[in-house]
Amino acid sequence: MNAHARLLGCGKKGMLNMEGTEFNKTKIKVITGNSAAAHGAMLCRPEVLALYPITPQTEVVEEISGFYASGELDAEVVEVEGENSAMNIITAASAAGARAFTATSSYGLVYMYDALLQAAGYRVPIVMVNVNRETPGITAVSSGQQDMISTRDSGWIQIITSSCQEILDSIIMAYRLAEDFDIQVPVMVNYDGFYLSYLAEKVEVPCRADVDGFLAPLKDQPQRPILKPGEPMGFGTHGILEGYLELRYKHSTALERAKVKFDEIDKAFERHFGRSYGGQIDTYRTADADMVLVASGSLSGTAQKVIDLKRDQGLKIGLIRLRMFRPFPRERLIETLRGKKAIGVIDRSICFGWNSGPIYVELRALSPEIGYIPMMSFIDGIANMDVSVANIERMVRILQSASEGDSYQKVTWIGMEEE
Amino acid sequence: MIKKFQFREEAGWSHADEILLCLDTGSWRVERPVLNKEKCNYCGLCALFCPTQCMVDRDDHFEPNLAFCKGCGICANECPRKAFRMRKEGDA
Repeated sequence: MNAHARLLGCGKKGMLNMEGTEFNKTKIKVITGNSAAAHGAMLCRPEVLALYPITPQTEVVEEISGFYASGELDAEVVEVEGENSAMNIITAASAAGARAFTATSSYGLVYMYDALLQAAGYRVPIVMVNVNRETPGITAVSSGQQDMISTRDSGWIQIITSSCQEILDSIIMAYRLAEDFDIQVPVMVNYDGFYLSYLAEKVEVPCRADVDGFLAPLKDQPQRPILKPGEPMGFGTHGILEGYLELRYKHSTALERAKVKFDEIDKAFERHFGRSYGGQIDTYRTADADMVLVASGSLSGTAQKVIDLKRDQGLKIGLIRLRMFRPFPRERLIETLRGKKAIGVIDRSICFGWNSGPIYVELRALSPEIGYIPMMSFIDGIANMDVSVANIERMVRILQSASEGDSYQKVTWIGMEEE
Repeated sequence: MIKKFQFREEAGWSHADEILLCLDTGSWRVERPVLNKEKCNYCGLCALFCPTQCMVDRDDHFEPNLAFCKGCGICANECPRKAFRMRKEGDA
């Protein structure tokens, strides 16, 4: 393939599909969240992809296969027999220096659990899309964040998105974050299955030239260690005692660095593409708010609408949308929440053993810094139950009464209690 | 203050030409192979079978590097001339 063809993204299989992505022209398309994920991945020019289909992620695999067939994606695409192999293949490919990608959901995510931990421990800068779905136990082909939550201590960076455009943009940002020489940690980009996966929205698909330009600063960084023929290196070496401790320490401090880095990348993204999502957290009308709702993912749009409705009624309420779950944006949450009168956290998963939502549990750990104010956990949106305007209004009513000093219940399973 | 790092890289890479991370597996041993040089005919089967590859070639015989020998006893089992005998650590 000649250099010009490579520049245009032409694959071995033929000419560039001009309908798809022209080199220097942004396209407006109406596409699903899954398609946005596939577009985002393709534009980053991954060199090795290993994919296995699973509802509600299957469309990502189909779209990427389409890009490969049309020649828009010039890469090694490996059809695997399961997600465990998918993760191991892209981990190895990344160790050999390739930019690698995979996508999964629920059962697939837990089927690759050991490989997921390896990838993190090996510090391979891969990017994976996880389309949130309920986990095994009670078989549910439905939305919920339990899968992502179940891997929270894996050492991955976990990002939660809330629109089709944000899915595409976050994958581009994810490569910039994962591959940063100061970070070198795999990134998982999450979005709600069934809601965002199949929802079609207007999406601005950036041109290749812009994405190449945005990722170009990575080339100016020092070369991370990679496996090369003729240069013997030990990779994934096991260790005990101080050696192990040192690697854990480095990994943990890299995650701490990832927080500010993600904010910087978000700002750089805005300069480059004109879109910003707030970095670690996205705040909405929080500055003068007394009460704050904390949410993540696709339900944030509905929550935002409720905030507007309540503001019109004179209620001083705001919304924090958590974009980064791991590392947990402690500093920015403290800064935003200090001095508030009540906080409600909407969780789409369950923290077993605490009988509350996991994000709520983490937020409560910030109580000494935020202040001992009413904090409430609202469990909703489990297994495709809609988090409706009415549901969020109900949460706000509970929050308001608590902020006025009434006694309150810490955890409310919306949908389990009679209204 | 954080101690000086052992690893140059972020992850557990080791440079085979400089340093390979090795575990001192000899400390795990319960029994050690003891060679009767009279019986050894330097055939090398013990070195081929040794899972930790710790047999050292001494020109006319092989003997285990006890810093790495885990005392698995495979050498003693494979030796056709029964030149190795497993001795309990701590015994004379």
